[in-house]
Amino acid sequence: MAQMETEVLIIGGGVLGAVVARELSHYKVDVILVEKEADFGWGSTKTNMCIVCQGGDTLEFRPEYHRSKLVWESMPLMEPLCRELDVPFKRVGELALIRNNEEFSKFQKLKSKAEKLGLTGHQFIDQDNLRQMEPNVTREAIAALYDPNIAIVDPVRLTIALIENASQNGVKVMRETEVLNISQKVNQFEVETNRGSIQCRFIVNAAGTSVEKIARLVNSDDFVLYPIKGYVGILDKNLGDLIKHEIHMRPDAPGQMNILTPSVHGNLFFGTTMQPARRGDYSTTRRIAQIGFENVRKIIPDLSEKDIIHSFAGYLMFRNWEVGWHECVVQASRKVPRLISICIGYPGVSAAPATGREVVELLRREGLKLEANSKFNPIRKASSVFNQLSNEQQKELISKDSRYGHVVCRCETVTEGEVVAAVHSEATTLDGIKFRTRAGMGRCQGGFCTPRVVNILSRELGLPEEKITKKGRDSRLLLYKTKQLLGEER
Amino acid sequence: MKFSEVDVAVIGSGPAGMAAAIKAREEGAEHVLILERQEQLGGLLHQCVHSGFGLLYFGQDLTGPEYAHRFIEKVRDLGIEILLETMVTQLSGDRKLTAINRYEGMIHLHPKSVVLAMGCRERSRGQLSIPGTRPAGIFTAGTAQRLVNVEGFIPGKKVVILGSGDIGMIMARRLTLEGVEVKAVIEILPYVGGLIRNEVQCLHDFDIPLLLEHTVTQIHGEQRVEAVTIAKVDKHKRPIDGTEQVVECDTLLLSVGLIPENELSRMAGITLDPLIGGPLVDERRETSVPGVFAGGNVVHVHDIVDDVSWEAEIAGSWAAKFSQKGDLERKEKITLKPGRNIRSIVPQTISGQSDVTFYIRVKEMEEKVQLKVGDLYQRSFRVAKPSEMIKVDLPVKELKKLDGRESELNVECEKGE
Amino acid sequence: MVEEKIVCIGCPLGCETTLKMDDQGEVVKITGTKCKEGRKYVLEEHRSPVRVFTATVLTQNSVRPLLPVRTNRPLLKTQLKEAAKVLSKVKVQPPLRMGQIILPNLMNIGVDVVATDDLVL
Repeated sequence: MAQMETEVLIIGGGVLGAVVARELSHYKVDVILVEKEADFGWGSTKTNMCIVCQGGDTLEFRPEYHRSKLVWESMPLMEPLCRELDVPFKRVGELALIRNNEEFSKFQKLKSKAEKLGLTGHQFIDQDNLRQMEPNVTREAIAALYDPNIAIVDPVRLTIALIENASQNGVKVMRETEVLNISQKVNQFEVETNRGSIQCRFIVNAAGTSVEKIARLVNSDDFVLYPIKGYVGILDKNLGDLIKHEIHMRPDAPGQMNILTPSVHGNLFFGTTMQPARRGDYSTTRRIAQIGFENVRKIIPDLSEKDIIHSFAGYLMFRNWEVGWHECVVQASRKVPRLISICIGYPGVSAAPATGREVVELLRREGLKLEANSKFNPIRKASSVFNQLSNEQQKELISKDSRYGHVVCRCETVTEGEVVAAVHSEATTLDGIKFRTRAGMGRCQGGFCTPRVVNILSRELGLPEEKITKKGRDSRLLLYKTKQLLGEER
Repeated sequence: MKFSEVDVAVIGSGPAGMAAAIKAREEGAEHVLILERQEQLGGLLHQCVHSGFGLLYFGQDLTGPEYAHRFIEKVRDLGIEILLETMVTQLSGDRKLTAINRYEGMIHLHPKSVVLAMGCRERSRGQLSIPGTRPAGIFTAGTAQRLVNVEGFIPGKKVVILGSGDIGMIMARRLTLEGVEVKAVIEILPYVGGLIRNEVQCLHDFDIPLLLEHTVTQIHGEQRVEAVTIAKVDKHKRPIDGTEQVVECDTLLLSVGLIPENELSRMAGITLDPLIGGPLVDERRETSVPGVFAGGNVVHVHDIVDDVSWEAEIAGSWAAKFSQKGDLERKEKITLKPGRNIRSIVPQTISGQSDVTFYIRVKEMEEKVQLKVGDLYQRSFRVAKPSEMIKVDLPVKELKKLDGRESELNVECEKGE
Repeated sequence: MVEEKIVCIGCPLGCETTLKMDDQGEVVKITGTKCKEGRKYVLEEHRSPVRVFTATVLTQNSVRPLLPVRTNRPLLKTQLKEAAKVLSKVKVQPPLRMGQIILPNLMNIGVDVVATDDLVL
């Protein structure tokens, strides 16, 4: 087994681990980031609603929570970050629908609270203007509170971009590397993984839903977290024009939320129902799906269940009620020196940029020496997204590399060239290709492209098709060759 | 061929596209061009290695590849132009078409007329919102068919099939013959979704359990499918508590319906039938956009391939006429109205000036019914089933009886004695 | 008396029929059919329940891993599984034309297996 050494080990390649890695790559520090999955951002990050928010919806602008501060500090950082990393970012604005006077007075209070906190831009929209801005939302809405600051991003793309940029600037990244044990030595940790041991002085524990588990490995028990599961549905792209803004409605039942939002790729996402869950249980249930759909129909009454092309469970860690379930974990362990744990819960993506900075500051306080990396390059270029290019650009791309003339995913018009580029930027699985290129994300959900993408993965990785997985580990897609089960050896 | 000179462009080369192209050429269109996204002509016929094709069209029981072969030879003999591995990415309301491939790069065409023959696609897990985890091992039946029959891979060795559509039942037989254990075919309705001959020859012949009025309520397994929970459903298709049972399997196939491909139809601004999802067409198979015709499963999903080809020939023939004359003579149209227990009728409008074949599907299964088309036609059926399309031929002499007085024609399925 | 149940495939109704045979195996009674054609079908299906057999075979030296094939005459439905097993051991090489025999006298029952597509290099 390999023996590695580093100054800082980041455990977890979700958006938080990635943003810390990138932040640390500003400095001359040895950093290794380990991720247990086959690709980055596959935990809570990928189930994020893609919204960059101010915390007005669930946090209700509560300054007493550290999480609110991180979200507000991150707000001005997100757009420049996305620009540097060549990640789509769109400021769509939020409309919080108001259906009655009771809701109106609640939002009035919320607005004045926001203003006191220096969060600008909120304004009330009357019914006529709301109709103009969003003609398809429920007639029950009599007004709305508009927040022009709210934006949307692609959380997985952002995570991958952060990792790529960090890695460009010297961070070592290891996937399918799971932390099994941690032992404390004098001034350092010995971290045992399935791919060898790593000696390090500092640990940043950004293990998402496993953050508590990792902390327990070194007997750090500063916090208790509870898993909360939500339900997210994706609507067909044909309905992409139904709304222009992120729409938020106050939930009618406790423990729910009700959001419908555009995404940077043209589909609408809706998210609802937050309920306690079993750790590691990513399954959806018929009941949650039903509540989810009923809720979104309160925003857009004409929606049909046929318009849903995909749905999944969103999964977050929340703190216990004594601390306040809105509180997050961004802290150095009280007992174990040089261990920083981070877990935001909701909204992790929105809070990420400021969290990254704060973690670096916490590391400095724990004794990490930070010397500027003069070679740091903040710019990362995304590979070409064929269907976003003009005809002229598409033509040019095909003439340079004919594989861009071969469409493998018809729903999202993804070309072989893009899939190959994704493999060469380290996608090794079907889901890896899906999150990087969108092949399989369209309305046929991989019906057409799966065999084609498997072929390309097999060819480019030099592996037989039967070895190709959906998402790493034991998720092989094709278990046998035709005739194999009839006793024929090939 | 210069792309600027295309008379009829046909998008897709399955049983619809080839039939349309051949007909257009035979009707005198000079430059007919087929655009096909795959490496060869024939579309999905290549993965349909089973027989049952061409019984009506050729009077012979052919396999998919054999059926394709006959058309491919004719396409070649007639000098129809072919662009393979070519994806049409744009189609405008004035019939401007953009396609890409790796050889020519980007191709811009402005054909005199267009035939849409892109076929259909399968409904996915996402559209059914089947609860549970998201492991590997869930495929649509058609994707599995391609994997098993063309690519050479068997997805798994213990399979549950949700939905009793024809492809699902055909795959149940194919997988069984390949040594796979097909645990059950699960159908939410009280009757199979496909043809009765497939129920008998694909399921009964191999003792594959068919569970009617059942559905999959949960998928289990983190990495790979490990099991599914199935349950009986009530009249409203809701799972009944207490009837759940867990079926161990490594693969779940879905055969839960087909939907016309309509990306390009939408892009061109063509009016779609809200229920079927394909373009609204008249008896010439012209869509709401003049000069754009459509035939086969892109319009509505047929039961048998012979009808797909026949329907596409109508589209091809009129596309040829349109390309020669620059337009077609247009008459007042009569709209077909679906009445009692009628789900869909194609064509949705007619001129009343020529013979027409209606393709009709009922909503619910009913025994002893009378199908009526206005006062013009009436026929008794022992049974009418949504899974079996009803064909009605109305000659022009019957339609003439309407004498331009009617702008609507009701189609109804009445309960007989 | 021996009974056999046969589902009629003559029309969408799918009648479940029952045939009763006497000691000599002669059909003496058919119940459950609703029409003449139905009776004809179930009698035929009783006498010789045959099916067109189709499959694929492995290829060598071709970009295509499989070639689709069929038998030139129908098989008894009880022979289908065995036929599939036999064919799983067959490997074919290009060039082959559609209709060409790739395996004569399958299972020694005088039925040939033919290619249903061309196989090129």
